[in-house]
Amino acid sequence: MSNTITNNKIKKLLFIGSGANNFGQEAEHDAAIYQVMPELRGHGIDVFVIDENPYALSLESLAAKTFWQPLTVHNIKKIIRDEAIDTVVPLFGGDVSLRLWADVVQSWSHGDGNVPNTLGLNIDMLLKVNNLPALTDFMAKNGLPVINNYVLKAQDEANELLRTLHLPLMVRALHPNQNNTRHIVERLDEFEDTINLAKSQSVTQEVIISRAINGLKEISLEILRDVRGNKMQIGASEDMDPIGIHTADSLSVSPILTVQDQLISQMRDYAFRIADILQLQGVMHVQFAIDDDDREIYIIKVSPYIDQMATRMALATGYPTMLVAINLAMGIPLEDIKLPHNFGTNTAMMEPMMDHVVVKLPVFPFGELAEAGIDVNRQLNSVQKSVGSTLGFGRTFIEALEKAIRSAHFNNASFSPTNMAHINDDELIQQLIHPQDNRVLLLIEAIKRGYEIDELAELTAIDEFYFHQLQHLHKLESEIESDIDSITSLRRGKKYGLSDGLIARFWHTDFNIIRTLAKENDIRVTYKAVEPSAGEFPENARQYYATYESENESIQIDQRAVLVIGSGAFRMGDAASAGYATAITMSELRRLQYPTIIMNNNPSDATLLPHLADKQYLEPLEISDVMKVVELESPQAIVIPGNRRKLINALRDLNQRVIVLPKEKHMPDGPNDRQSEFALNFFFDGQNRYLINVTQHLAGEMRIIAHPTTLSDEILAMPLDNPGVYQVIWYQDTVRWQKQIHLSTIGNGGSWLRPMPYGQIAYLTKIMQVPWIRLTIRAGLNELTTQDYELLENVDSMRASERLSMISADVNYQLHLQPTDVIDGTKFEVGVGVYDYGKE
Amino acid sequence: MMQRHLILEDGRVFQGLGFGAPATTFGEIIFHTAMTGYQEIITDPIYDGQMIVFAMPVVGASGIHAEAYESVKPTIRGMVVHDLAEVSVNRQRRMNLDRFLKQHNIPGLYQVDTRQLIRHLRETGPQKATIVDFADEHAVDQLVATVLTNKQVQNTATPKPYANPGRGRHIVVIDFGLKHGILRMLGDYDANVSVLPYTTSVEEVLTLDPDGIILSTGPGDPRTLPESVLTLIRVLQTKAPLLGIGLGHELFALANGAELKPLPSEHHGMNHPIQEIISRQIFYAMQGQGYAVDDQTIDRKKLFVTYRDLVDGAVQGLRHREFPAFSVQFFPDAAPGPLEATAVFADFFETVEDYVEHYNQQ
Repeated sequence: MSNTITNNKIKKLLFIGSGANNFGQEAEHDAAIYQVMPELRGHGIDVFVIDENPYALSLESLAAKTFWQPLTVHNIKKIIRDEAIDTVVPLFGGDVSLRLWADVVQSWSHGDGNVPNTLGLNIDMLLKVNNLPALTDFMAKNGLPVINNYVLKAQDEANELLRTLHLPLMVRALHPNQNNTRHIVERLDEFEDTINLAKSQSVTQEVIISRAINGLKEISLEILRDVRGNKMQIGASEDMDPIGIHTADSLSVSPILTVQDQLISQMRDYAFRIADILQLQGVMHVQFAIDDDDREIYIIKVSPYIDQMATRMALATGYPTMLVAINLAMGIPLEDIKLPHNFGTNTAMMEPMMDHVVVKLPVFPFGELAEAGIDVNRQLNSVQKSVGSTLGFGRTFIEALEKAIRSAHFNNASFSPTNMAHINDDELIQQLIHPQDNRVLLLIEAIKRGYEIDELAELTAIDEFYFHQLQHLHKLESEIESDIDSITSLRRGKKYGLSDGLIARFWHTDFNIIRTLAKENDIRVTYKAVEPSAGEFPENARQYYATYESENESIQIDQRAVLVIGSGAFRMGDAASAGYATAITMSELRRLQYPTIIMNNNPSDATLLPHLADKQYLEPLEISDVMKVVELESPQAIVIPGNRRKLINALRDLNQRVIVLPKEKHMPDGPNDRQSEFALNFFFDGQNRYLINVTQHLAGEMRIIAHPTTLSDEILAMPLDNPGVYQVIWYQDTVRWQKQIHLSTIGNGGSWLRPMPYGQIAYLTKIMQVPWIRLTIRAGLNELTTQDYELLENVDSMRASERLSMISADVNYQLHLQPTDVIDGTKFEVGVGVYDYGKE
Repeated sequence: MMQRHLILEDGRVFQGLGFGAPATTFGEIIFHTAMTGYQEIITDPIYDGQMIVFAMPVVGASGIHAEAYESVKPTIRGMVVHDLAEVSVNRQRRMNLDRFLKQHNIPGLYQVDTRQLIRHLRETGPQKATIVDFADEHAVDQLVATVLTNKQVQNTATPKPYANPGRGRHIVVIDFGLKHGILRMLGDYDANVSVLPYTTSVEEVLTLDPDGIILSTGPGDPRTLPESVLTLIRVLQTKAPLLGIGLGHELFALANGAELKPLPSEHHGMNHPIQEIISRQIFYAMQGQGYAVDDQTIDRKKLFVTYRDLVDGAVQGLRHREFPAFSVQFFPDAAPGPLEATAVFADFFETVEDYVEHYNQQ
């Protein structure tokens, strides 16, 4: 095999990062790269990474030489040449990295020297994966069930085709002369008219006919393959929502619950065959559309690289996917993979089993946008609208669902159980057919109104199992609501994952009362381990989730431990920066040798990487969830993002030592397109303030003003509670970049103080090579060193290693959201990159 | 749903809610980690007389389907799960799990902390258990006094020969508690199948002039079967290609002088890596075993090991050095379980073809 590389040939290995965050692209790739770098160092390999994302943790790894540069063919080639790179791993950077590497390879010229080896996929296959029609043909030729597209011109050809294809069919115009030429043909008598219509919509009078799969069930399998052709399945999930809604916007459930073994085995076999024909050495996500009744299976997408499914499954099962994946890429056979000591000896080779349910719930930006007066198209379809997701872990579907909802919408009134009462029946039906973000509530409302499960299943193409579950949930809630203060109800409610807060709302009381009532009646939370043997073997587990069962498996880890409260799902504005701040916090605590515990529920960032914490709680982050963990672990300190004010106060009331990562409650607005925002930035160690620099911020872009200045008495006198990075903000009507700034302009039009947004901290950290979040944590723990103070005293505003500006990613809000108004790219940031302005 | 109890012989009591039949039953309790195929598992005769705890958190959501039975009548003694999924019975799904268990008078228990139970059972190994309405002393005494049958093969195997005709090779199946998956696989090869009782004689088999012989899967401890079975195997393996599966594998080993040992922990699931020793290929298959062939006792002049479980090292396959006879401990019929294991049948039919060709040349 041409891509078989034994690891002793690899000397210098380059990772290509996935760039700025975007819809469908959170921090999963960066997390994967960050996790495997030390593993490669352990094999004696020099590791290099290029990325343009200021939130990339891998760019701050001590295990690699890092290049914070725009991701261009030119930059990648230059690194390969300058550093004599012999090996490139594009699969960890996902499809962005894969495409970029394909571009590099295709533009390789004779003078460039030898093309470095590609790990994971050979070049032929890599190019094939990048070319969808070619990949589809390749699979069809190998007897795999793909959805064939037939291009036709004449009606009799179409009639001929009708003999071999089953209805419904999708008919589209080839080379369309207008948007949206997709037509679904469900009845035979519609066929001819539809063909004619589509022909009239085609410039060339040609139509494409294929099997329509809208409404089928969507299944994902995660598998892997090694150099010897050994294959195993390492995860599986089903979408509650049918095909037609983007899988990222669907509610997904693991393990697969509603599909028979025979169909799953068949899909597994197809996925294995795809891995074989691609000669893959690594992990792969394959998406299928299935029809349970007719027992039909179609392959709809093949992703032989790290994606959100890979990271989600790793978290859901406890299987060390990334560590295994990099070993496979290096050509190490499955049976020879050595995992770190905290994994069981056979873990790499055992297919992970689950004795819990994991629900993934997408998080949509509609609420935040609506608050800013921006309406968007909320109807879910095949274009992704969600910006993040959360996981709920439980022992039943309902428990996992309730926890996922709570994780996604803490402090969000839109998930109130009475929210749907105002909607009329026509609207209800319309929304059942054309679902929106609040679909779960809508389904419950439909059940409340007495619609039959058969009808609903037919209308929505959702498996009836889910309606039975939601009906059960509805019954449970009604019982609790009508049975105030009943201990039996409370016990049942807790068993199905209802939060103290929700039960408190039913009983018109406070969550603390519910907590106390539960405690007094011995209704206690138990924590269960997430480990891949499903109880078969004694495990050395570090991941836990809460449930209400008989046996608790989690015991206090260490009285010196520090508990870190994560930020949950990605949201617009916070984008990846919140996850970055949390992960760096954890890394710093580990460096300072504090046993570290993390609570979070975001599958797509680095905060839940196994090596960043001694223990993980995969939990919602409501006050009562946090309190329960605090009671069990009695940590010596708790690190919390500053926007969680209620939580901070509640913990301080209990005399807990709280370390706040300063943060505004809401993301601040950015400057409009006629003005600049200026920030005088300084660090506060709890007592003194240390000037950092001044930055200028135009719509979507930020630069440092390389000009010395000082802190005024006024700023020195402003009251601050917590150590951290702060900024004084003012606006000026200019759209030119300033070379220097007169501090006298601060007052004009007003100025105010705020914590520096995490995104800007990440940018300053990288560009100045000063670890601002680490310094904040050290200050909070009174661990600042003499060297730290020396650094703080001498922070020089000129200290920017490169002239890079931070710029908003090129996010296509129009495609994804169809907003009614311009979206502020700062307040509603999805991702950022860097741009080199050194040669301007 | 009524509150019911599971009592273990060691005195542990687990509470849950009853489903299926309200019967009180006794059986040996084991746990299963497979995440799919509950219908196939509870209808597989290898679990005759046993109670099965499922690690899978939600069971029942894919209903009960005509094509997924592994026997006509399930003979397990109970089913313990965490969450029972309701599914309605309608045109597509004519049966659900609750109704199915009721029809067959099998009790189920749900809302049990099955993870706790499994973590307990992995330490104690299988033990006697009962599902009852009241967990009182009487129930415990009753459990302790109960002697479980060791006649599972007799309970499940056919007493009379029958045919499953096809147009291909003639395969004789010796039934020790045959599961449908094996017949389904033979059907895929269009084999002309004769199923014979395990009490059958050498002459009866040879009169049929088989092109190949299969020793079927079955429940219980093979050492409780009469010596005549081993004699039968010793003769048959010299006469035609032979494949032993599960209990059939254990009998094949015993017939050739090897001994069995109990596994430190019983294994029921489909996630262990099984390695084909000659090719070093790893694959996965449904496994259900309390015993394994003891490596130390294998007569290397007669047999060699072909497959091994990489987790516990247990022997998963044997081949005879002299005759076209081989056996696998795992279940290669993929009902339920991964399809890759079905390669064993391809091997078998290749051997059969070779044998027939060779025979014709003579």
